[in-house]
Amino acid sequence: MPLLVKARSFLRNLFFTRRVDADLDQEVHSHLELLIEEKIRAGMPAAEARRAARIELGGVEQVKEQVRDSRTGAFLDSLLQDFRFAIRSLRRTSGLTVFVVITLALGIGMTSATFSMVDALIFRPYPVPHPSNVVTLVGTTHDSSYENFSYREYRDIRDNTKSYDGVIAYAEMQAVGFSAEPGVTPRIKGGVMVSGNFFRVLGVEPGLGRGFRADEDQVPGRDAVVVLGPDFWRHEFASDPGVVGKTIRLNGTMFTVIGVAPDSFPGLLTFGHPDLYVPLAMAPVFSTNLGKNFFEDRDDRELTVKARLKMGTSLQDARNELAVLAKGFERDYPNVTRSRGAAVYTQFQTRTIEDDNWKFGVVFVILALAVLLVACTNVAGLLLSRARERAREIAVRLALGAGRLRLIRLLLTESLILAILGGLAGIAIGYGVIEWFHSKDTIVFATELPLAVPFQMDKRVLLVCVGLSVLSAFLCGLAPALQSTRVDLVNALKSADVEVPGRKRLWGRNMLVVAQVSMSLMLLTAAFLMARGFEHDLMLDTGFTKDHLLMTTFDPRLIQYNATQTQQFYKLLAERMRETPGVQSEALTQNIPLGNDDFDGVTFVPDGFTMPPDRENFTVTMDTIDEGYFDTMGITILRGRAFAATDTADAPRVTIVNAHFAKHYWPGGDAVGKHIRLDNSAGAPVEIVGVAQTIKYQNMATPADFVYMPLAQHPVARMVLLLRSSGDPLQLLQPVKDAVRSLDPNLPLLQTRAYEEFYLNQAVRGPQIAIDLVGTMGLVGLLLAIAGLYGLVAYNVSRRTREIGIRMALGAVSSDVLRLVMGKGFVLVGTGTALGLVMGFALEQLMNSMLFDSGGVDVVAYLIVVPSLFLVAMLAAYVPARRACRIAPTQALRYE
Amino acid sequence: MSPEQTSLLQGTLDLLILKSLRAGEMHGLGISRRIQQLTGGTFVVKPGSLFPALHRMEEEGWIAAFWGESENNRRAKYYRMSKAGQKQLEAETKRWSRISLAIGQALEAS
Repeated sequence: MPLLVKARSFLRNLFFTRRVDADLDQEVHSHLELLIEEKIRAGMPAAEARRAARIELGGVEQVKEQVRDSRTGAFLDSLLQDFRFAIRSLRRTSGLTVFVVITLALGIGMTSATFSMVDALIFRPYPVPHPSNVVTLVGTTHDSSYENFSYREYRDIRDNTKSYDGVIAYAEMQAVGFSAEPGVTPRIKGGVMVSGNFFRVLGVEPGLGRGFRADEDQVPGRDAVVVLGPDFWRHEFASDPGVVGKTIRLNGTMFTVIGVAPDSFPGLLTFGHPDLYVPLAMAPVFSTNLGKNFFEDRDDRELTVKARLKMGTSLQDARNELAVLAKGFERDYPNVTRSRGAAVYTQFQTRTIEDDNWKFGVVFVILALAVLLVACTNVAGLLLSRARERAREIAVRLALGAGRLRLIRLLLTESLILAILGGLAGIAIGYGVIEWFHSKDTIVFATELPLAVPFQMDKRVLLVCVGLSVLSAFLCGLAPALQSTRVDLVNALKSADVEVPGRKRLWGRNMLVVAQVSMSLMLLTAAFLMARGFEHDLMLDTGFTKDHLLMTTFDPRLIQYNATQTQQFYKLLAERMRETPGVQSEALTQNIPLGNDDFDGVTFVPDGFTMPPDRENFTVTMDTIDEGYFDTMGITILRGRAFAATDTADAPRVTIVNAHFAKHYWPGGDAVGKHIRLDNSAGAPVEIVGVAQTIKYQNMATPADFVYMPLAQHPVARMVLLLRSSGDPLQLLQPVKDAVRSLDPNLPLLQTRAYEEFYLNQAVRGPQIAIDLVGTMGLVGLLLAIAGLYGLVAYNVSRRTREIGIRMALGAVSSDVLRLVMGKGFVLVGTGTALGLVMGFALEQLMNSMLFDSGGVDVVAYLIVVPSLFLVAMLAAYVPARRACRIAPTQALRYE
Repeated sequence: MSPEQTSLLQGTLDLLILKSLRAGEMHGLGISRRIQQLTGGTFVVKPGSLFPALHRMEEEGWIAAFWGESENNRRAKYYRMSKAGQKQLEAETKRWSRISLAIGQALEAS
């Protein structure tokens, strides 16, 4: 029963506040009357009795307040009261409120948008049950701490480890020719080869049909079964549940659809959402490396290996176990596993090692947080100056018996409301920025594979927004709240000008100025440095010609060409293209420079080079090209010759290396005429016939060793055709299509575009977006800082109007006053600048080590940023100081 | 307020209020005077403590309030003990005796 009684009084207190209050009022008053009566009866004179009774009661309002505080739901009740009050007072100063909300929204919005990047790139868990148990197993070498495993190695790991509840493997997402019916030209979809236990170990229940059975991944080429990705199923089959059991053609082979992955599982990749999953055993249909046997060669390393850690097994146990296994590999297969180790990574480690892009995200977050901090100091400054205007109101409240804590809570409620409004608007801004990333023209993936920007405004990002809002409420509300409730009551009630310029109080405000100057300086420096860094990247010469080039990719495996047919096709294609009018030159290459696909690696030993004692061989990136490549791309052959038609499959093997390579292994002499041996010192010798100019290969970063192989001696199935045109490269499109149709009408042309356009999307747009982003943050930070700085400094000076009046009255001249005021501003801005320089410098070091590696200090950035900020701050001090000097002393003394 | 007047122990006020109300329904001032009388003037309950306690106990359901007339025909709020209050009083009394016995023993021990 008591619970019921309690609930009833709770509701009564909450909803019939007025009646409950009136009742209480009557009760206390009647108590007072009874007291007076008692005292009169005891013989006191009426007036005396009244006074004594009041003293004994101790104040009607105070007693009532004490009762209210003890009631059920008192906390909630007073909270509601605070909210109502705060909203009322915020509405009274709507202009200020709007400004503060916008300020906070900019800070919170930017932080949430940039956090969504970092979240997508590092933190977001795998979309599987118990994602934290999923670890990644990788090989390690001298040059790399993230190496894939071969099929053989995977099977050994799977069968000889005890730390896991299952070990899975999958290959990179690759272009697969898909047609729903035979006879239709295949279209490119993204397919992933996975081990048979893939879905089972990950704990992913198919949305439709079933996952792979263990026996479907045992016999090479036997079980042509496929599981569809959820998006693919939706778009290609209109979510038809009858799709299970149907057959589709993948790279010309019939596959039976056995299931559809659930919507909750878009795959394990950060950027891609695979369309199709097929068993590893079907590798003959998909395998990319023609020179290797996927099922047998231990050095055909194409598989990412992940495993689910057993409950109770520590990461260290798993690492030790794998290390022992890797030692065994090295012992048993020395030729292909010399000095290879293995490591087990958590999700976080994996994501930070496999892709460097997260570093940009982290720097963006730091910058966005700086914007938010500037915004918070702005708001704190505003609230502080408003607190002075409210000092009297607060003094009255304190005098009437409000507790200090209660008042602080009230003021914090106000800033909380501001922060919540700012947070909501910030979420809208963050959402807008993320949508902008998603919009078609912002980030273009120049590929047919199903790639997507992974940034999203999800639960996790929203949670961060809420956290940031609350944090900023405290950041910008606490100091003003503490300060404005620390008033000298007597003084406060006596005059409007309660502010006794205590050292402590000024100190707080000065801190804000310093913080603001330093934060914005750091922000600007970073923005400036980053923009310059990216621009530097963009300005770099790529080393080859980009205009008047048409590119298109062929993959004859999509229509079941064997190796001979493939090479025949490329030979005929090259001949046809050379005869086509408008084609200046023709080239075939496995990869284009600065493209999406990684270059292959080649393992070799340079003849006559003293190997370091701990190394068996070196691995560098390579490209397979035909004889027209260097001409078409405008890459200079520095020494020796380019490939020629005479470098046939039967001719002695030849290679061309880049200048970097030549200088690396033959620093003194001429590399031409020297040999490298493939794989190891006993491998086939290949003669270096030429040295090519070093260009940009995979990305804009530092130059690297690079090797070219002739197509005739190093057959590759998937090749890019590059055509140099005399006019608009796209005019060659029709002739190319015609030529291909005459060779084989079923062969699709992939990724057909002008190279220059592709290059702009690929290499220029990313940095451009980063520059835009950083520039926006810098600009917003600067504007906020200027507004806040001006407000704070001007306010500080205007506070001294009376003092200035007195000084003037006592005979000071304007220049004295100006010097006084400006001097103060100078010291504050100077301190802030010094601090900001230190922080900017630290951030620059961080950025240099993480991103650009340009070393050194960018003096220009500081030369531009520091004086401009200084100027603004000094102007902010000058204008009000000037005004203060101009007013007559009499007026200044009457001021306020 | 004389210095001998001891401040009330936490929870003791409830016990004293219930004890006073055992004699019958009473208004606030009456309760306050009754406690003063019961404790021989050791405890003087100020309205600032009394009223919050009364309202809290009402919400607990130990006492019930109603408006009535005072001896001098003044409207006053009266309190009466409920069944739950009766039980609470018994429980609290037992508890208090135990505590005071224990403290007494502790203090007498050498």
